[in-house]
Amino acid sequence: MPHVVISKKKCTGCHMCELACSAWHEGVYQPSLARINVIVNPTTGVIKGQTCMQTTCRKCQDACPHEAIFTKGGVLYVDEAKCNACADIAAGPQCVPACPWDVMHIHPRSNKAFKCDLCDGDPQCVAFCQNPHVLAVTQKADKADEAVTV
Amino acid sequence: MDFYTGNVLRIDLSTGTTRVEPLNMEYARLYVGGKGLLVRYMWDEVTPGLDPHSPQNPLYLVTGPFAGTNVSTCSRLLVGVKSPVTGIFNDSYVGGSFSPEMKFAGYDMIVVTGKAAEPTVVTIKDDVVEFRPGKKYWGMLTSEVEAALREDFDAGARVLSIGPAGENKIPWACVSTDQFHKAGRGGTGVAMGEKNLKAIAICGTGGVSVGDARAFLADVRRIHTEYVLTDDNLWVNEEGTPILVQPMDDAGVIPTRNFSAGEFEEIENINSDAFQKIKTRNRACYQCALGCRQWHELGDVKSEGPEYETIALCGSNCGVGDIEALMKFNRECDELAMDTISAGNVLALAMDLTERGVHDFGVRFGDVDAYLDAPQLIAGRKGVGADMALGARGLGAKYGHPELAMEVKNLELPGYDPRGSFGMSLSYSTADRGGCHMRSYPIADEILSGDLPPDSLEGKAQYNIDGQNHSSVKYTGIWCDFWAIDKNQMSQLYRHVWKREVTEEELTQVGERIWNLARLFNVREGVEKDTVPTKLLDEAFESGPSAGKAITSPVFEEKQLEYYRLRGWDENGVPGEAKLAELGVDVRL
Repeated sequence: MPHVVISKKKCTGCHMCELACSAWHEGVYQPSLARINVIVNPTTGVIKGQTCMQTTCRKCQDACPHEAIFTKGGVLYVDEAKCNACADIAAGPQCVPACPWDVMHIHPRSNKAFKCDLCDGDPQCVAFCQNPHVLAVTQKADKADEAVTV
Repeated sequence: MDFYTGNVLRIDLSTGTTRVEPLNMEYARLYVGGKGLLVRYMWDEVTPGLDPHSPQNPLYLVTGPFAGTNVSTCSRLLVGVKSPVTGIFNDSYVGGSFSPEMKFAGYDMIVVTGKAAEPTVVTIKDDVVEFRPGKKYWGMLTSEVEAALREDFDAGARVLSIGPAGENKIPWACVSTDQFHKAGRGGTGVAMGEKNLKAIAICGTGGVSVGDARAFLADVRRIHTEYVLTDDNLWVNEEGTPILVQPMDDAGVIPTRNFSAGEFEEIENINSDAFQKIKTRNRACYQCALGCRQWHELGDVKSEGPEYETIALCGSNCGVGDIEALMKFNRECDELAMDTISAGNVLALAMDLTERGVHDFGVRFGDVDAYLDAPQLIAGRKGVGADMALGARGLGAKYGHPELAMEVKNLELPGYDPRGSFGMSLSYSTADRGGCHMRSYPIADEILSGDLPPDSLEGKAQYNIDGQNHSSVKYTGIWCDFWAIDKNQMSQLYRHVWKREVTEEELTQVGERIWNLARLFNVREGVEKDTVPTKLLDEAFESGPSAGKAITSPVFEEKQLEYYRLRGWDENGVPGEAKLAELGVDVRL
């Protein structure tokens, strides 16, 4: 199934993926609202990339009590009409802590869950990992995906 | 306005107060960002003749319009101050991630004034600015204070700090961020140390607007493909600045043993081929697709760098061809937050004075043990380090050999001996912050491309003028020198900021306006004569590619006057009324 992965061996920690992600989705460069995270320790140089594994994971979908996360073309989307950020649940949003990659959040303005949707088939994080020597951010797909149009 | 946050954060350490004021958009129109904003604000806010050691001397952190977007290389932060070392304008640039974070926190500029009564750390999370007791951090190395503030304040904090060198006000103490990135030159670390300011840590959750973000993304993607990630540019990622070592040695311009030769017999031990063998990975500054930072690992040293300047000044100029020692020395300087250009110069001078029998500093060319002890001794002003902490000019003067101090306006010289690249003499003498190679770079054509003769000053005054005007507008962006951006490319980006077509001519004029105002500032502050050490003009090398060739003082003086004439300045280097009016400079002496 299609999803984005970051090679921690190749990644240089430039954060271009977060920047492009937020600009595409939010209309401003705001990495705090990116759907992809790169955590860099500047002292050790150690990098940790966090991306949504889409339907190879599904933990958010399993955790959602409102069936607000649906699948289309191997990609998980939030149905904003159904999502209420678990306002009716004392413990708060269920999908956020369920995400093993820390890429599921509640949007501060819409108050709905938001996540990676692969940018309508042209993931900007992949597009902006442009250095031919690096190419750390890539879109993975298995053979079954080839029949799938995202 | 898109690309700007429109806010300036003012921090007064004497009173422990802060305030936010609007960015002067008229200044932004004329001077754009980065270097331009710095010089215009400094003109207003630095009282003429102000003692740079005074608490009233403001320290500026300035971003460019593209910081926080994905325009490659524009994450550079400008640390600006009336230099406590040179007494004139000083703009020092540093990569890393602090500048974009400033924008996300909501500030185009931060201005720090006053002096804290006790060591202090300032933390900024969006609009919440706090003063924290800094005693527990005082004395920490840069890696330690960064880690401590990520622990104590915020795991994602970007930290700008000084090391022990800044605390002890060593003249070439620098400001450090993301551990390996330094605003190296002109004593930026002294300025923080004198304010009792150990560090500023910042986190921002806001955004930078650019107008139609998807259209901008598409254009940046195109610009990166066409101009940034080209075959010509990828050496930056493959080898980085060490690639310069061998050609500079081949051309006989790499400073060796305190500028007594231009070739080093052990160069193959510290050239790019040698570093490639111990390279482990690349790292990038924030928002940079190039990723020039070379990580190396040897023995117990795992670190970024060293860069060319460090290899030249702390390697060949100290007679050191031991790559492991050079890496250790570089790490020490990084941790203590000392500029390696000045460190290598001063240490080489101490070695020179020792070898000549003038005074025994216990350090000799190539003596690795004493060399490795030096950074700690200097930063702590201990033993022989106390004298070395005078800087090259002070040390040379104290021991009766000012002619051996390789500095211009009290800023030690970078890694290019003008005797093998004559144009560099004018580059150093006319640079607005003293002995610096980053305002104009004739060596690019005198040595690297080979398009201009290296042993002539003909045409070099104009060459340096063009380079200085270009770098001035480039440092509004703030583009890194690793993207050799031309004005056409700049105009393609600035049209997104100004929402209109931008001509190359107006960008040239912005650069010239900035350069002239910086000169006016320097004249006002009593800048020294524009010259370089006499040795570099009149004493030719005895061997190597430039053997027997001397610039000579009379020729240099003539070309210096030609430079003033072509600039529209008088014979003392004071910008003339006609030039200032033509450029729209809105202030006068």
